[in-house]
Amino acid sequence: MFIHAMQHNRELDTFRAEVRAFCTREIPPQVARKQARGQHLEKDEYDAWLKRLGARGWLTGKWPKEHGGLGWSPEQFLAFQEELGRSGAPPLVSFGPTMAGPVIYTFGTPQQKTKYLGDIISNNTWWCQGYSEPGAGSDLAGLKTRAVREGNQYVVNGQKIWTSMAHWADMMFALVRTDPNAKKQEGISFLLIDMKSPGITVRPIIGITLGHHLNEVFFENVQVPVENRIGEENKGWTYAKFLLANERVGNVDVAKLEAYLRQIRSLLEATKEGGKALAEDPAFQRRLAEHEVGLATVKALMADQLAAAKANGAPSLMGAAALKLRGTELVQAILQTGIDALGRHGMVYQSAALHAGWNGELIGPQESADVLYEHLYRRAATIYGGSSEVQKNIIAKGALGL
Amino acid sequence: MAVFSADERQLLHDSVNAFLRENYGFERWKRLARGAEMEGFGRTEWARYAELGWLGVALPEWAGGAGGGMTELGIVMAAAGRHMVLEPLLGTIVLGARAIEEAGTETQRETLLALIATGRLILAFCHAEPGGGYARDYVHTIARQEGGAFIVDGEKSFALGAHAADTLIVSARLSSQAGPLGLFLVPRVAAGVRLNVAPALDGRAGATVSFAGAKLALNARIGDGDEDRLAMIDRLIDRGAIAACAEACGAMAAVTEATIEYLKTRQQFGQPLAKFQVLQHRLVDMSVSGEEARAIVHAALQALDDEAPHAQRAVWAAKVQTARAARFVGGQAIQLHGGMGMTDELAIGHYYKRLTLCETLLGDGEFYLKRLGAAAAACAVA
Repeated sequence: MFIHAMQHNRELDTFRAEVRAFCTREIPPQVARKQARGQHLEKDEYDAWLKRLGARGWLTGKWPKEHGGLGWSPEQFLAFQEELGRSGAPPLVSFGPTMAGPVIYTFGTPQQKTKYLGDIISNNTWWCQGYSEPGAGSDLAGLKTRAVREGNQYVVNGQKIWTSMAHWADMMFALVRTDPNAKKQEGISFLLIDMKSPGITVRPIIGITLGHHLNEVFFENVQVPVENRIGEENKGWTYAKFLLANERVGNVDVAKLEAYLRQIRSLLEATKEGGKALAEDPAFQRRLAEHEVGLATVKALMADQLAAAKANGAPSLMGAAALKLRGTELVQAILQTGIDALGRHGMVYQSAALHAGWNGELIGPQESADVLYEHLYRRAATIYGGSSEVQKNIIAKGALGL
Repeated sequence: MAVFSADERQLLHDSVNAFLRENYGFERWKRLARGAEMEGFGRTEWARYAELGWLGVALPEWAGGAGGGMTELGIVMAAAGRHMVLEPLLGTIVLGARAIEEAGTETQRETLLALIATGRLILAFCHAEPGGGYARDYVHTIARQEGGAFIVDGEKSFALGAHAADTLIVSARLSSQAGPLGLFLVPRVAAGVRLNVAPALDGRAGATVSFAGAKLALNARIGDGDEDRLAMIDRLIDRGAIAACAEACGAMAAVTEATIEYLKTRQQFGQPLAKFQVLQHRLVDMSVSGEEARAIVHAALQALDDEAPHAQRAVWAAKVQTARAARFVGGQAIQLHGGMGMTDELAIGHYYKRLTLCETLLGDGEFYLKRLGAAAAACAVA
């Protein structure tokens, strides 16, 4: 369909007002304070907020009603994200609601649905993603972490890497090799692993941000019950791909893009050249306008994919890849504009200011450390969730038949 | 201006790089950058650079220097970029030394230049101010002469190395906001001088400096006349800008080589990543960008040494081209390393940060593009 009916919808306006009012009322003061200062949240702070959203069912509002969701339309989900961002709420976390949840309700057993979905809806469990390995990056299907079946357990040995927030996670959804002799996509299974299992070691990786976000996860004879396998043994690649398509859509957060744009605007107001704000410089105004066009485009691509996911159970291969490609390019372009302003303050990186309790004296505008952190962190946007090169291969092979 | 022969330049290049290769590896870098004393560089290293003659490479021979020009400084700075040298070369041997050499009184030149060459005087250039951005004439700091002293009030933006400099080179207007621009030698530790020390993006450190009634001796002024130093400061910043470009060239060469090596060894889909044509072309673009920058920077250094009429525009053009190249090469180095490029444990991310700083130091590409545009428009009118 070429034209979407995007008519102005009174129900949607009511919903937006409800979300705004909720945020004003429910964002814990400590969280609001840190958000306003661009400081990082501790797990319990983040958790307290997400649980409040979870109590309304809003973390999983776009899930179908039969699985405990609210059956939101794509427009409603986008409106929700936008209002959260505009209210200064912390960004949503996609590992449970966008990644694990849909795999479980689409391919899981009734027991698995009962066991896991409720805790995702209420944010009682934090999830992490066990996909990448030292030898399996772009070539994800080359993964080697081995799961050997012994009775009603799998014994898992191997290593995952670049595991975001594994140090906070209760559960991991992981790809493991169950048949080393099959063709590489055909010997993979999809397991749900309790992070408290004996034999799991999480080792932090300090990023170029100087922050701790990434981890290595080691498995040494970790026992995982067979009932924790999603779908059939050796068919894990099918579920993995389904999840990847959702991840591509989930990797683009329009609320975050809007929030970055607001930050950059404020940075350009606060940064002067020869006494005059950069916000008045036609070259910067033009760049902001370019970003607005980019944002409108990405939002439109996003609406398409949310609609496709609702209609067909999954986003389209090409659409999700295109959205991931352009959405992550846009995030980097917006933050680059911020960096261009920050050069005028000497490119100071007071990363300690991102943590509560810092009482140093900030150099440059208030956003400085946060924008630099995000700039560095989002260098990975065109790497994580399948690099831009991989997305282009997917489109070339899968959609264009090349 | 006396400059080195081609053989001498090659020798300088080889010896600086050989020394740093052997003595300034990434592990050493980490210890220096993250050292407990928070200086962010090595005093021992600085003393060695003096012994090796690098600190005086562009100083006159009578001051214990080697009598080199900008090209020789460029060779040292490129090596500094290649090995991510943390020591305050830019503020001391590129900017500070030149300010004293060009505008200083005979006494200042005779006493201070020799101290620089022997590593006993570290300088930082404090000119930019918070409301000014990259503008070169935006100075609101004022130095009022009161009896036998100058009283300085004002604020300076973050300057690399200011936290550890013995002496700050500070621009200030004489008497009033409309007064001529002068340069002053200000001790870092003095009544009325306050520093806010902070880390820069690339692991080096620096500080903002504010002056509240700081009292300076009359001979703290560089030179002894009331003449306006704006044109000289403009030339000084050009020197700094092209030195930052040379530094970027060295960093780009190093990070491109590292990326090529990584793609040759990293196996994905049953073969080295370097076998994929799309990645080969990316590596080619990185290499060509680095070569373009190296060529245009070399040309600008030569123009400065020749005192060519187009030298200033050559510097600006080089900064535009180098800034673009630095952004592309640094960004692609991370992209092609994947997750590995995102870790603090590898040098790649540090090169990215260093290149980002070089790109913006003393004016970014967009700033110089505007200056070139304005200069061209002025020519057309004239």
